[in-house]
Amino acid sequence: MDVIMPQLGETVAEGVVTKWYKKVGDAVKADEMLFDVETDKVSTEIPAPATGVVSEILVEEGVTAKVGARLCVIREEGAPARPTVAPVAAVTADATGAQRISPTAEHIAEIAKPPTTPPADGAQGRLSPVVRKLVAEHALDVGQIRGTGRDGRITRDDVTAYIDARGQQGAAQAAVPAASAPAASPQAGVAGQSLPLSPVRKRVAENMTKSWTSVPHVLQVVEADFHRIEQARREHGAAWKEREGFSLTYLPFVARALSIALGRYPKLNAIFGGDRITLQRRINLGIAVDMNFEGLMVPVIKDVSNKSLPQLAREINDLAVRARSGKLKPDELTEGTYTITNNGAYGTVITAPIINTPQVAILSTDGVRKKPVVIEGPDGDSLAIRPVGVLAQSFDHRAVDGAYAAAFLRELKLIIETRLWAQDLQS
Amino acid sequence: MAELTYRDAVAAGIAQEMERDERVVFLGEDVAAAGGVFKATVGLLEKFGPKRVRDCPISEQAILGAAMGAAMTGLRPIAEIMFSDFLAVCWDIVANEIAKTRYMTNGQITLPLVIRTANGAGSRFGAQHSQAVENWAMMIPGIKVVAPAFPADVKGLLAAAVRDPDPVLFFEQKSLYSMKGEVPDGEYVDELGKARVLRQGKDCTIVALASMVHKSLDAAAILEKEHGISCTVVDVRSLVPLDTQTILSEIAKTGRLVTVEENPRLCGWGAEIASIAADECFWSLDGPILRITTPHIPLPSADRLEDATIPSVERIVREIREKID
Repeated sequence: MDVIMPQLGETVAEGVVTKWYKKVGDAVKADEMLFDVETDKVSTEIPAPATGVVSEILVEEGVTAKVGARLCVIREEGAPARPTVAPVAAVTADATGAQRISPTAEHIAEIAKPPTTPPADGAQGRLSPVVRKLVAEHALDVGQIRGTGRDGRITRDDVTAYIDARGQQGAAQAAVPAASAPAASPQAGVAGQSLPLSPVRKRVAENMTKSWTSVPHVLQVVEADFHRIEQARREHGAAWKEREGFSLTYLPFVARALSIALGRYPKLNAIFGGDRITLQRRINLGIAVDMNFEGLMVPVIKDVSNKSLPQLAREINDLAVRARSGKLKPDELTEGTYTITNNGAYGTVITAPIINTPQVAILSTDGVRKKPVVIEGPDGDSLAIRPVGVLAQSFDHRAVDGAYAAAFLRELKLIIETRLWAQDLQS
Repeated sequence: MAELTYRDAVAAGIAQEMERDERVVFLGEDVAAAGGVFKATVGLLEKFGPKRVRDCPISEQAILGAAMGAAMTGLRPIAEIMFSDFLAVCWDIVANEIAKTRYMTNGQITLPLVIRTANGAGSRFGAQHSQAVENWAMMIPGIKVVAPAFPADVKGLLAAAVRDPDPVLFFEQKSLYSMKGEVPDGEYVDELGKARVLRQGKDCTIVALASMVHKSLDAAAILEKEHGISCTVVDVRSLVPLDTQTILSEIAKTGRLVTVEENPRLCGWGAEIASIAADECFWSLDGPILRITTPHIPLPSADRLEDATIPSVERIVREIREKID
């Protein structure tokens, strides 16, 4: 049977085979490790789908292959050695057809059938059977194809036109030899050197360009007094670190506050789909994690509103650690409904973040710093030194307007400033 | 080629076969002296005499019982059931006897007979005389089901039905009896189980039968001219055997399937075509299948109401515009 590049995560279009555990002629058992693959999202070991003998290896280590491309052939026991002329089979259609996906209304509603969830934009993202088949056969990235059907749906003609245009450009086919990935680290870069984009970099570039060029961004910023959070951290931080093995940062507090505020302002916990905005039942918080300067990943904490502060702290830490070591599972990167990014560690004052479409808003938290603050009291104003943080939200002006987004920020600020955070840690 | 009406083509087809083969006989209610209530069998009595062209009492069971017995004993009868609605009266003989005899006798007895019947709406005859019931026949294993849309097909397919060794239900469309068309002169025999592509388009494939073929062709012309949607139109002609090769290959060419049928919605023949398409050419479909049908109601006799229920050219145009990208 043909072993193909699997669909590792919904937005993944290609992967690099980084290691083969078997060579041609080796016997392999089903579920035994066969190869490692690195994508822009994850690095993972792929087990053999069948028992037999590796009869062909079609993609060398270090080479990039499109999702659905044939990587090797396992001759199953009892099966005759047959010429391997099968094209990228239709059986890959489901997998490949599902690429370019992020959570949409239907996705959330039809969560019971996850493997072929619809892509984010265009026609609520459904791909027709023939489009799926063509995409699989030609190992295409549907994200590159412009839909001209109703609601931007990609039609068969759109795909064939794309294939024709690509053919004229003499573009590469299923398996594209890539400049040996992974790409060199930026620190190692020498001035004047031209670095090929790593899969992560490429995907970040695509997504950011798409969002930046298609979504009207508006940035709003409020300052929030973090002294109650600071107080809770001061009282419980040491015991926490001893017990849990990692530091209690501001982030879980902000996540908790966000989940409460989003519950009250559901239009910001929504998916924008061209002709409709779908408010999401679940609040799934994407957390942007820097990959040691090697790209960006956004693991998602699901159902934040059902989780306590300690739970959130543990999950955020766990996801961040695993994101940096490339050990995230594909489903931990999907279904986000709102995203938070945090550059506070470097002392930035304000970051204007780019929305993670089709979500409608993103929050950036920057450094929390001590500042003189005027406290208004019954006996007159006084000055105090308070930890002040900046909450900067970019929102999609197609989805909501400034007043609504500002009211949400005020709510968020109020929760951060007034909640009895120490109690959240005692529970 | 001569220009004949659909009803003249019926008489021409019967006459051709009766001239060719003495075993062919014709019986039914008011078919002989009156020339048929739809005047589709005028002149046959005069030409072939009362022994071979017989008026029967008003008993559908008697007509089909006699036809079945005649077929069992060596004749090749053509029996007429005046309105296809009345098949319900004699359905036991059709569904349990005629359809099963070859199988239950292990092929010792075959029934080379044809049941002609006037089918469908458009004549304001009300709920009991206007139904399109070709789907009833389609779901019974053991009978062939034909429904021509053009005079030439009436003659050619009727001849083929008479020559077939097994029972054939031949649905003539009441509303088409007066339409005219070119019919080949002389002996003309068509083939059962072949669909015909009448128009080739690129955006969607309309599969239609009998009167709906004409409405689909008119709709396709409007869609092309006014809305830039180009449609293939396939005339199914025969539901059993069904020409799935032609139908599926035409669906695959455009990626979209529209069935236009006069049957009421539930279990109309279009549902079977849709099911076959989903089974066999799913990966060629570029969008949902569209079925245009009569609603699931007893038909009204008032003209405006009847017009509102049966798929019209305007409705076909509208639904295709709404549903096809």
